[in-house]
Amino acid sequence: MNEHPVTLHVMDDLRRSRLTVFFRFLLVLPHLIWLYLWAVLVDIVALLNWLVALIIGRPAKPFQRFIAAWLRYATTVFAYMFLIANPFPGFTGEPGSYPIELEVPTTPEKQNRFKTFFRILLVYPALIVGAVLMYATYFVTMLAWWAAMITGRMPRGFRDLGANAIRYLMQVYAYLFLVTGTYPCSSPYVGMSLGASVVEEAPAKKAPAKK
Amino acid sequence: MTANSRRLLGLLVFGVLAGGWLYAAHALWQTSVPSNLKLPHVDVSSLVSASELHRAQHFSFILDLFGIAGLVLPLVVLAFYAKWGHRFMGESAAGPIGTGMLLAMLGLAILWIAMLPSNIGELWWLRRYGIEKTGYVAMVLSTWSLLGAEFLGICLTILIVMGFARLLKDRWWLAGAPVFVGIALLVTFVQPYMSGLGPLQGHATLVQAEKRLAAKEGVGNIPLEVENVGTQTTAPNAEAIGLGPSRRIAIWDTMLDGRFSEPQLEFVVAHELGHHKHNDLWKGLGWYALFAFPIAYLIARITRRRGGMAVPLAVPLFLFVWFAFPTAILPIDNAFSRRLEANADWAALQATRDPNAGQALFENFVRTTNEDPNPPLWDQILFGNHPTDGQRLAMVKAWQQRNGG
Repeated sequence: MNEHPVTLHVMDDLRRSRLTVFFRFLLVLPHLIWLYLWAVLVDIVALLNWLVALIIGRPAKPFQRFIAAWLRYATTVFAYMFLIANPFPGFTGEPGSYPIELEVPTTPEKQNRFKTFFRILLVYPALIVGAVLMYATYFVTMLAWWAAMITGRMPRGFRDLGANAIRYLMQVYAYLFLVTGTYPCSSPYVGMSLGASVVEEAPAKKAPAKK
Repeated sequence: MTANSRRLLGLLVFGVLAGGWLYAAHALWQTSVPSNLKLPHVDVSSLVSASELHRAQHFSFILDLFGIAGLVLPLVVLAFYAKWGHRFMGESAAGPIGTGMLLAMLGLAILWIAMLPSNIGELWWLRRYGIEKTGYVAMVLSTWSLLGAEFLGICLTILIVMGFARLLKDRWWLAGAPVFVGIALLVTFVQPYMSGLGPLQGHATLVQAEKRLAAKEGVGNIPLEVENVGTQTTAPNAEAIGLGPSRRIAIWDTMLDGRFSEPQLEFVVAHELGHHKHNDLWKGLGWYALFAFPIAYLIARITRRRGGMAVPLAVPLFLFVWFAFPTAILPIDNAFSRRLEANADWAALQATRDPNAGQALFENFVRTTNEDPNPPLWDQILFGNHPTDGQRLAMVKAWQQRNGG
């Protein structure tokens, strides 16, 4: 089961660079600043989008695409910060550029005006669940940092927990910003896909055949 | 236009630019210290005790060794990084500029690791002599936080350089250098607002003296504020900071703990007012601008062999030359700084007309900073951004001889 319009694709191989893990919380700083600046614009756009959706019954396409790009970008930044992925992310939220990728609908769907009007109140329960999941992720990242520093790999359970928390949080934001009318789903089996390139255990290096 | 006339035109443009550069450098080099001023010999051993002198020499020598490590180690580490740093490109899923940022940050991160033992050693030495109070863990954490700020700074640098390089190719330096000068100007202007300065309380006499001296020097209203560093260090210091409306004199609280008399503090304030009077902060910016263009040009030339600054492959080499050039011009930078400081000392003598306060202050500096009053020449060339205490005492004596004090 995987039916939610906002889906997280995980194509990470669990390998981690010790150097970038050691400095991860500093390396992510430029991204956090850019994410924040972009988020300021997203807040304004989301408010306009809300007004548009109330009037015409669906969000405006340019606004939808703008917010969708921010959601994709935020996913990569959080994935990098919480050690859920290894490479340094790009700054544009371009699809297909990162092993942890959020699939977001870029074409606006028709949405119920009544639910749109009360969206900020409706999202509250999901926001609370999202906050709890993110706190858990903070804690797990502390443990995962040590594990990744020692073994050069991210424990899969930690990675999947963090990925789920991010997936849920992005569904919350997507719902809040009217990218989708589908409520966030707390089940880890909905809106999450482990890609084909996931390597659960690093393949042992084969010794060259002796001749 | 033939090849010969193009070459001739190029030479002419270069000649005009070089002439302008030399003229500007010469103008900035001038000070108000009389050019015929001869500094008399001052026997420092007659002013401070032999044990104090020995202690200062021993302290300074070892501190210099840490200073040399601080100059050489980054060059060695970044030279290696220039050669092999590109291997970290695989750690990035970002575009060229994002990857360039990552490579630059990782270079600084590796440098931070390499410098840590030397930094801890230096702190140990400063703690041993009671100059520093910071603990080792606090120092590591504070350098870690500083590294975060350095990361942001280098990311901005890479964004400017690579952004312009992608637009202007090898001519990025023409646009990049003015932007860096603009950033330096902005930083100098806002520094007083970011330094955590507070009003100077409980020193009404000093505040009054500062107002009187400022009026005498004709520099307008420049607030005298205090910077609280007493929990981290015992070193005395004061600074002239800011430009235009942000001008301030920042005096460290370590100067106000009773070790310095009121006349000595007034001399310090007069020295800092001297910096503002002679527009030394503007001169410093002018000096920076003078070197920003040729250095940016040389960086553009050197990084061309790695494909130019438009590609992240060149970033590790960029990082090396970004550090190497300022190190190479350190002697001339220090000489320039020493001239400005000597100028401010002279201004303080002229304003206070109190050479005894100046002499007592510089003798006191030997005791409170533990610095060698007469260090070897190489020490001055590499690290001397102020005249030595011996030279400062000699200037006081020279002023006395001229003015019959």
